[in-house]
Amino acid sequence: MAMIQVANLVKTFTVNQRGGGLRALFAPRRRTVTAVKDISFALQEGEMVGYLGPNGAGKSTTIKMLTGLLVPSSGEVLVDGMIPWKNRIRYVQKIGVVFGQRSSLWWDLPVMDSFDLLQAMYSIPRERYQRNLKMFREILELDDFLQLPVRSISLGQRMRAELCAALLHEPQLLFLDEPTIGLDVVAKERIRTFIRYVHEERHATIVLTTHDLTDIERLCERVMILDHGKILYDGALKQLLERFEGQRRLVVTLADPLAAPRLPGLAEPRREGAQVFYSFDPKTHSAAQILAMLNEEQTILDVEVRRAGLEDTIRRIYEQQLLFPVDDRTGKAN
Amino acid sequence: MDLFSTGLMSGIGFLAVVLVMLRFESIGGWTLGEVAFLAGMIEMSFGLMDMVFGGFDPDWFSGVVQSGRFDQFLLRPVNLATQLLGANFLLRRLGRVLEGIVFFGLSLWLTPVSWSVAKLLYLPVVVLSQVVAMGSLFMVGSGLIFWTVQRIEAVNILTYGGVELMSYPVHIYPRWLQRFFTFGVPFVFLNYYPALYFLDKPDVLGFPVFAPFWAPLAAAGMLLMAIWFWRFALRHYQSTGS
Repeated sequence: MAMIQVANLVKTFTVNQRGGGLRALFAPRRRTVTAVKDISFALQEGEMVGYLGPNGAGKSTTIKMLTGLLVPSSGEVLVDGMIPWKNRIRYVQKIGVVFGQRSSLWWDLPVMDSFDLLQAMYSIPRERYQRNLKMFREILELDDFLQLPVRSISLGQRMRAELCAALLHEPQLLFLDEPTIGLDVVAKERIRTFIRYVHEERHATIVLTTHDLTDIERLCERVMILDHGKILYDGALKQLLERFEGQRRLVVTLADPLAAPRLPGLAEPRREGAQVFYSFDPKTHSAAQILAMLNEEQTILDVEVRRAGLEDTIRRIYEQQLLFPVDDRTGKAN
Repeated sequence: MDLFSTGLMSGIGFLAVVLVMLRFESIGGWTLGEVAFLAGMIEMSFGLMDMVFGGFDPDWFSGVVQSGRFDQFLLRPVNLATQLLGANFLLRRLGRVLEGIVFFGLSLWLTPVSWSVAKLLYLPVVVLSQVVAMGSLFMVGSGLIFWTVQRIEAVNILTYGGVELMSYPVHIYPRWLQRFFTFGVPFVFLNYYPALYFLDKPDVLGFPVFAPFWAPLAAAGMLLMAIWFWRFALRHYQSTGS
């Protein structure tokens, strides 16, 4: 059975228009906004999925319904056999949640005190608590700031503490909403390593939303792309890249760059110092072919193939609207 | 310091009652001491209520919802009421409780009540009922926040205004106001009627003789309604964007 089963999920918000005084109380001008429009998907136990989409696509709304914070307008959600917003207390025992923009720790208390409070709240057996804490302290390197109040630690440190806090009760299902937001490269990498560890060693099912596509590239095999409340793509990251990657570039350093030849079937090469750039479509040419042709005319000193990053690919998908909503009955992209 | 200043703040409220009384000598046939009994009792209860139900204080709760902190409450495997009550428990509210007690003691000195065992037993029941009844209003007020996000002044009129209103004998008010606080929000049975019993005063509104003992019933009814409403309201929680 699937760990997460979502069917025809819809969430509509009523937004009160601004308007002052008593009128706003008795006859507010209302507008309805549909944040999530009829989405369906399933997630198997032990899977890790990257949930992507521009701001306002409905990512957070979906996560909030999956974690039981919001009650959907219609549709069904079944997580590990439970309906998240019913039996709230029993449900939240089983999940771990990190909202990158919010803190689940007690602002004025030392980090360690927050952990102790969580132990009490989740009634984590002492031995298990000690074991987990010891392990996370090591992997996440928490010791430097364990005794400092949360308000005085850095964002990177806080995020590590948040991850630890979300995992002390050993949830098998993890929702990570922008866990790397605002962090520097080193801090991001550390968080990613930890997420991978939790996924691989503890076999946790993970839903990860992020704006940082490097997170997705490093961590997720499966991605779901959301825009305007609909799922545009749900499938393997590899396939997505193959389908939409478009042009690749072969960068060669030639002995005599000024005499870089124009190759049949390819556009005029661009030169930048000793480097020459050949753009090619991977569907019609292979890098090896081009190299072979070049090798006949020139001495090649160095070679590099550049692919368009996921970042470029995703941007193109949004801008040029390359994808259409997934048909919910078949679950396949059109 | 906080304790002292809140005590002083509400001490001024007591002074207001005294000044009004000095001017009129009696209000609706009630002496200064009798009115002080009425005011002291509700003041004491309000202080206790504010301490116990502080987590449901709409003024504070609206901030919790606005800042998104409410999400964190929902994510923890602990009863929401327990979390909220614990999150806004401030010892400085003891100031208001102390002030209510002093107030109440003063009224007893001004108007000696002929105590009986029954009266002594009923007094804590009345105070508890008042705490629960006013706490229920806080719950309704915080429940409304799920729709409005911002706090609604109308609720404060009921809670803070209600306390002010209940500090005077209810029969001095116009009929419509009396009706509202009898059948709408049954505050009349929580302070005025019990006071009639404690002070051995006649009922001029014409309710059954056992009306003074309806306080716990009225409070229980209000609490049940408030709990039901709060749960209903929670389903409409919209969270805040991030």
